[in-house]
Amino acid sequence: MTLDRARWDTGMTYDAFKATMTRNQDRFSENEARVALDPETVRTFKSLPKGLRVLVLAEDWCGDVVANLPILGRLAKEVPTLDVRIFYRDQNPDLIARWLNQGKYQSIPVFVFLDQDFRELGHWIERPASVTARRAQERKKIFAAHPEFGAPDAPVDQLPEDVRVRLQADLQQMRENMVPFANAEVQRELRELVSRVAV
Amino acid sequence: MSAKPLRVKITYCAECGYERQALDLTQALMYEFGSRLSAIEIIPWESGSFDVSVDGDLVHSMKREGGFPEHATVKSAVRSRLGSAPTV
Repeated sequence: MTLDRARWDTGMTYDAFKATMTRNQDRFSENEARVALDPETVRTFKSLPKGLRVLVLAEDWCGDVVANLPILGRLAKEVPTLDVRIFYRDQNPDLIARWLNQGKYQSIPVFVFLDQDFRELGHWIERPASVTARRAQERKKIFAAHPEFGAPDAPVDQLPEDVRVRLQADLQQMRENMVPFANAEVQRELRELVSRVAV
Repeated sequence: MSAKPLRVKITYCAECGYERQALDLTQALMYEFGSRLSAIEIIPWESGSFDVSVDGDLVHSMKREGGFPEHATVKSAVRSRLGSAPTV
């Protein structure tokens, strides 16, 4: 896989990606509007000695893309030296093959931080582990509070439809409640990543 | 052939973009079994799931088996419950 200027230029800008979205565009815009950028995040990125390129792999159907890409988009608006280009994962198998989650999963979004000569400085995939862990904890609490939901790992198709609908609503509410924590964790990880790799 | 209505349920992770796999399997079952199935229910879910149950029995779970089911595996599970011979 060669990443050079010509390939880079085939990527979409953040605004172009938003314009091409055929799914979740409203949710994406809502998430973008409510991102609370931590001043420390902006300060960290603005203080970098050189501008960074950020190669993003994404798809518009992916919940983690819809949740986390707007954070990067908002950050890039505040930090003009952050140049973001987005590539559809499924149209760029050579790119995703290079940044597989745990070496095997095609998780997205992928944010790859590059220097001006397209050398990788570091990358970030999908969502913070802390968010995954917190979600699992909250999920367990929901099931503990509602025996009618059955076991957390049981197939949901065995539940009566009305119970399944209530479970789905509770899970959605849980994820909604976690947005401030999740957004803060994404920013913390991105700050830590660029602080480690910035030259 | 069994007279009992046989229902297939496909639970897929909507946030993971597994629609194509769910629809491909649905189509394969429709072509293979047609009206011998009482219903194919497609349930949008989350958490990386892709589960298939036939007549209430879980015949494939992405978490249990890993990956997506082979169509042949699901067809075989349906066939055994219908008591029918494979269609060539």
